[in-house]
Amino acid sequence: MRRFNAFHRPMNAARRSLLSMLSVLSVQSLLLVAPLPAAALEAGDRAPDFAAPALGGGGTVELSRHRGKIVYLDFWASWCAPCLTAIPEIERMREALPADRFQVIAVNLDPDPKKALRFLEKNPIGYPSAHDPKGRLPSQFGVDTMPTSYLIDGDGVIRHVHRGFKRGDGDDLRREIRRLLGGD
Amino acid sequence: MERRSRGSGPVAGLLLLLLLVALAGSGCARVKPWERDLLARRDMGWEPDALEAARESHVYFSKEASMPGGSAGGGGCGCN
Repeated sequence: MRRFNAFHRPMNAARRSLLSMLSVLSVQSLLLVAPLPAAALEAGDRAPDFAAPALGGGGTVELSRHRGKIVYLDFWASWCAPCLTAIPEIERMREALPADRFQVIAVNLDPDPKKALRFLEKNPIGYPSAHDPKGRLPSQFGVDTMPTSYLIDGDGVIRHVHRGFKRGDGDDLRREIRRLLGGD
Repeated sequence: MERRSRGSGPVAGLLLLLLLVALAGSGCARVKPWERDLLARRDMGWEPDALEAARESHVYFSKEASMPGGSAGGGGCGCN
């Protein structure tokens, strides 16, 4: 006598459609799994050009506008303690270096610009900061640490990547910038 | 002759399992470094108040009289 086996029944139309539906849903769900982050840009890579609205309004911040200068690009946020340690140091660095050859650009990543503006009221900076609450620019650069800063040469090539910031890092950065300025 | 067709049961079961795993996986989000504003809040820390945590830890290992007490090295005399 043939044993009844549920797995060996002929496939009917309803089962076939269930199977195809499950296949489609499985593939779709796999696509929903968190995507891998973009590769982080390193020294030697070309910095992607960007134009982003300025923090607090009033125009846009463009990287290409400073082509020909050494650009220090700093990604920061008001909730990130090492970013706030870095800002006064960056400002001192900017003041000490020749403005016609060195430019600082910041990109603020706060969802709410008010917190960033409140910090800048107490710690004014003389360089432009863009506001990118959606994180479009750090995605392009593959920022994997907060803060991350990039030293970009006059041709738009990244020459140095600095991740994190602690006291004393300003001296290392100054040395690196002077080396780039001297080599230009 | 009896014709045996391959059933859809095991395949459907496997697909259902795959679907459930993938759906569970899709609930995982990779928090990007610039999206940690809420995680960086003081009240999101395990120990929001460092001083209070140190005091509690000291009381704990003094009472416990164990070596190395809470998380710090030292004896159970309560003198360190």
